[in-house]
Amino acid sequence: MEEIKVGVFLSDCGGQLSKILDFNAITSFVKSIPGVTFVAQANEFWRGDGLKIILEAIESRQVNRIVVAESIPKVSEVAIAKAVEEAGLNPHFVEVIDLKDHCAWPHRDSPLEATEKAKAMLLAAIEKVKLMEPIERAEYPAVKSVLVIGGGIAGMQAAEDLAEMGFQVYLIEKEPFLGGLAARANRFFPTDDCAICIQSPSSLKTVANTSRKCVYRSGISELPNLKIYTSSKVVKVEGAPGNYRVAIEQRPRYVEIEKCIACNLCSNTCPVEVPDEYNAKLKTRKAIYITTPLVYPPAYVIDEKACKFHECAKCVEVCPTKAIELDQKPKQVILNVGSIIVATGFKEFDPSVIKEYHYDEYPDVITNLEFARMIDSFGPTNGAIIKPSNREPVKHIVFVQCVGSRDRRWNPYCSSICCMISLKHAIFVKETNPEIDVTICYIDIRTTGREHEYYYERARELGVKFVKGRPAEIIHDPATNKLIVEVEDEILKKFLELEADLVVLATAMVPPEDAKELANILGLEIDSDGFFKEYNAKLRPTETMHRGIYICGGATFPKDAPTASLHAHSAAIKAAKFLMNGKIVKDLKVAVVNEDYCGDCEFCPVTCPYNAISLVPKDNGRLVAKVSDLLCEGCGVCVGTCPVGAIELKHLKNNQILAQIRALLSINGSSKPLVLAICCSECGHAAVDSSGMAMMSYPANVRVLRVPCAGIIQVQHILEAFRAGAQGVMIVGCKPDGCHHGVGAQKAQRKVELAKRLLSEYGVEPERLEMLNLLFIEGDKFAEAAKKMTELVESLEFIKLP
Amino acid sequence: MSTIRFMEEIRRRHGGETIALCYQCGTCTGSCPVSKTSDRYNPREIIRLALLDNRQEVLYGDAIWLCASCYNCQERCPQGVEIAEIIFTLRNLAIREGKIPKLYEEFANNLVASGRLAPISKFLEKKRAEYGLPPMKPVDIEAVNKIFSATGFLELFSRSKGEKS
Amino acid sequence: MKSYALFLGCTIPARQPNYEISARKSLEKLGIELVDLDNMTCCAPPPLRSIDLKTSLALAAYNICLAEEADLDIVTLCTGCFESLAMTNSLLRDNMKLREEINGILSAVGKEFKGVKEVKHYLQVLVNDVGLTRLKREVLKPLDNLKVAAFSGCHLIRPSKYLKFDDPERPRIYDSLIEVLGAKSIWYRNKLRCCGGLLRGYADDIALAIARDKIVNAVSAGAECIATLCPFCFLTLDLGQMLIKSTYKEEYNLPIIHYAELLSLSLGVDPKELALEIHKIKIDKVLEKIGW
Repeated sequence: MEEIKVGVFLSDCGGQLSKILDFNAITSFVKSIPGVTFVAQANEFWRGDGLKIILEAIESRQVNRIVVAESIPKVSEVAIAKAVEEAGLNPHFVEVIDLKDHCAWPHRDSPLEATEKAKAMLLAAIEKVKLMEPIERAEYPAVKSVLVIGGGIAGMQAAEDLAEMGFQVYLIEKEPFLGGLAARANRFFPTDDCAICIQSPSSLKTVANTSRKCVYRSGISELPNLKIYTSSKVVKVEGAPGNYRVAIEQRPRYVEIEKCIACNLCSNTCPVEVPDEYNAKLKTRKAIYITTPLVYPPAYVIDEKACKFHECAKCVEVCPTKAIELDQKPKQVILNVGSIIVATGFKEFDPSVIKEYHYDEYPDVITNLEFARMIDSFGPTNGAIIKPSNREPVKHIVFVQCVGSRDRRWNPYCSSICCMISLKHAIFVKETNPEIDVTICYIDIRTTGREHEYYYERARELGVKFVKGRPAEIIHDPATNKLIVEVEDEILKKFLELEADLVVLATAMVPPEDAKELANILGLEIDSDGFFKEYNAKLRPTETMHRGIYICGGATFPKDAPTASLHAHSAAIKAAKFLMNGKIVKDLKVAVVNEDYCGDCEFCPVTCPYNAISLVPKDNGRLVAKVSDLLCEGCGVCVGTCPVGAIELKHLKNNQILAQIRALLSINGSSKPLVLAICCSECGHAAVDSSGMAMMSYPANVRVLRVPCAGIIQVQHILEAFRAGAQGVMIVGCKPDGCHHGVGAQKAQRKVELAKRLLSEYGVEPERLEMLNLLFIEGDKFAEAAKKMTELVESLEFIKLP
Repeated sequence: MSTIRFMEEIRRRHGGETIALCYQCGTCTGSCPVSKTSDRYNPREIIRLALLDNRQEVLYGDAIWLCASCYNCQERCPQGVEIAEIIFTLRNLAIREGKIPKLYEEFANNLVASGRLAPISKFLEKKRAEYGLPPMKPVDIEAVNKIFSATGFLELFSRSKGEKS
Repeated sequence: MKSYALFLGCTIPARQPNYEISARKSLEKLGIELVDLDNMTCCAPPPLRSIDLKTSLALAAYNICLAEEADLDIVTLCTGCFESLAMTNSLLRDNMKLREEINGILSAVGKEFKGVKEVKHYLQVLVNDVGLTRLKREVLKPLDNLKVAAFSGCHLIRPSKYLKFDDPERPRIYDSLIEVLGAKSIWYRNKLRCCGGLLRGYADDIALAIARDKIVNAVSAGAECIATLCPFCFLTLDLGQMLIKSTYKEEYNLPIIHYAELLSLSLGVDPKELALEIHKIKIDKVLEKIGW
């Protein structure tokens, strides 16, 4: 075993720190620590001459472990680690601490005490680095191909981006046709142009590069790297990020896409007629049909539930290109992809459950999507606005907003686009049929996007009536075949009975019924409303806790077309970033399981925020936990969860934690009792940084231990701190709903509660232990809490746990 | 007197817990049989006035006594506001301040005296035999009044007896 | 033979012995035993709840305790009593804190609510204990497609969260019980809307206007009678028509009949035994139609 030689490099920040801290005393203290072979002091060590000193010390083999006291360690350690690695030393043998923001600045009023604390901080860093094991770097294959689940406008655009970047893309869609909701919605607000269009591809030579293209002439199906599977769903996913094996099942179309020329002879001949769901059942269709030739593929499909197959086969006889194959079977295809993008969109909520609106009983009560089909000139009524009950013309239309949205019984959220959709429809009606009377009943009108308010203005200018009030009931008068909408006009404080020929319900937008199933297959989280949950809504809106799997478009929450496009492009970039090097390189700062101790209790697989732990059988029939090095993010929540200490982090082993705790509490130098603050390296440690950066003051008896996540803390650590001489312990983590690792802050809270109970049993005041949840900008709260804790423990008796 | 907001006062009482959820959609008034017949009553407005702390107008007004307790509003409210219960809560508060309509006073009197909302006359008791109905079982008036004592009903009622408007 | 503790409430014994008579007679014929317990008091309906919610809960719970002590489920005739007792039963079963509070009050009279007995309306007894099939068999004088405007009143079905009796927007139980007697339960406008009964005595004008709406809607749809379940509804619509006559100068002569009376008549009970003179609007036309 190579002898451990620790080099300690003390930056005095251009001479500023040495005005407060006694660097002579610090240097001689450090020199006296066993294992330290080299000590140097300079203005700065993270670049220039200072960095050269470190590199020379390494090259001359005087040191093989590095401790640097430097400014803004979270930034400077990047440069130092890089240089150290180039010099041939494992970069994880470097520990950088902050004597400026964590010592000199906050304790500038008590320089002697600050110096003693500096000694303790350096001792802790040195002890940690002495116990550090080498961290290897691993490489994993990243197959440069992507699976996009969902062929709506978000899925198509993400697929197009990636295909044009050179990735092999598989786009799967559960319906027989691409297009999703857009193919039925006819027009999109606020531009009122076609809904079924996507970005123009730039790589196809014969397709003009413009801002956008109709899907059917976009050439998306001709992109060389893009393979489209319609009538397909994901059945199983195996493998790891960068290298997934996905099994998809493709239901038979019964029509050869390449041979079909969409001549309609088959449909004309087909004897079977069924209600046309695509067209809101406003008309019927045949068992062999095409929904719209506007998207891909421009080929017919057979509805296998309606078709009589060989009992009939009339379509086979008339097809001029022999495209119909009644004996097609479902196919299973295994795709090897590096990354998966979920773009499964949303659908309209079924308002039948809101019985007072009688959607299921009165044919003249329809939804916005059904209305969109009606006004579509390609649609079931060729664009005529009629009453579905008797096909007669319409004189009065009433729109009802928030049907199933903002409703705690069904969907508590606002679906965000329904106001604009109804306005779009109302404007369309007034522009094409100005004699039709249109009223919109609303709770609030929400037109928040760019240009959206002008849309609302236009509606008012065209004479659309607005009634502020949520309709209580829709009644049908059998004598006149008219509908009556009972609503209170809140502004006039009058009860109205609005007569309507057609009532259009602006229903909520909800996840498709198979979203949950897909989430289970992929191991993705869904939120309480059933939408796919993103990693972080503000900054990583298209990523998930699973690296390698991305989500975009309406699948995360209802949104309009511009936002869905944004999302799609974002997901494409994330996937490209992940796969572009053809390999995933990772430093293995991961958790490791001691299989002898593992009791297969299943706590850690369930708790791991990254789903990185699974249970595997051993020869003796036992199950033990196994950590995926690729998925593990090294947060340590599993360490805090394990009841028997069978798992620890390679880059922060238990002995390293204990060594630091003891070192930090070994030197006092003040009259005050020692307090240990265990801070997560996200918000917790950042709050300590900011209190120093802002030059706040708190006493030097408060010592800070940095851990990756507060979730790593075990009750044992807290008791050890008291044993080592702490009179008070503070755990500082992120906000409970903002933990950077998802669950860590909440887990830490539980530990603190348990530890408080235990302390009470020992006769120790539970107030000596507290948990703080802070943000970086709440450095003042940290300083305040540090002062308060100090005052508290000063007022209590000195304790020493056995 | 109380220093907390009117809305808070209502929220803390049994029946009033859900009042702050209201977002004034008007489904309640739209569903109300009384609102449709008369503009003296508008449940949405009552809740709005309460949320804006118009204690005087709500408790001393005539409106809160016009609810027919049909529960249609509560059934349909998209936010789960228990409007019918809130009206009861508001009436409870009004009575505590001495505002009790004569009708309810009579009910309370009858209850205390006989354990029934409407007393059964001797004439009716005799008629029961004629109709072939079994005689009425007695009410344990003592028990009823003990319950009234335990809840403070008697006190509250006798207090408002002297101060009704 | 299934036994229930009969809860009569205050209004029926005081004003509508016809309801009580027909209920007792019909349930007896159908083999249901009704036990009259001692000490039952007011169910604590809205008029009492308006004064104090806690007291009403305690009083309602007291009644349920009496049934628990007799080891009997409760059956009510008045739907108001049903709502009050069933809601209390449901609330106190689910809300531990509330239950402790109310039991604290009940301890003053030596009672404890346990939540082990059910509160039912007699329609539930008909559907669950007798069953529609058997009921149909027992009908001796079918109602000959009598056009009945079914009116259950509010408190049989609302608030549905606590009562769980039937679908509050599309109730079918009451209609099927009317049709099993051979009558037709017709559609009429605003069938589920309140009769305004609880406003009587405070705002008679509004109450009357609401009642009138109800009568007009039923008559416009061709109803031959309105079948009620609640004594207040009965009063409002029956006696109410006399007031409509004097106030609006309109005469409708629409018979208002309790379902229990229709049931008794169809089971073959002689109308003379049913105290039908209590009806202000005579129901002779209906009796004729049935064959009495």
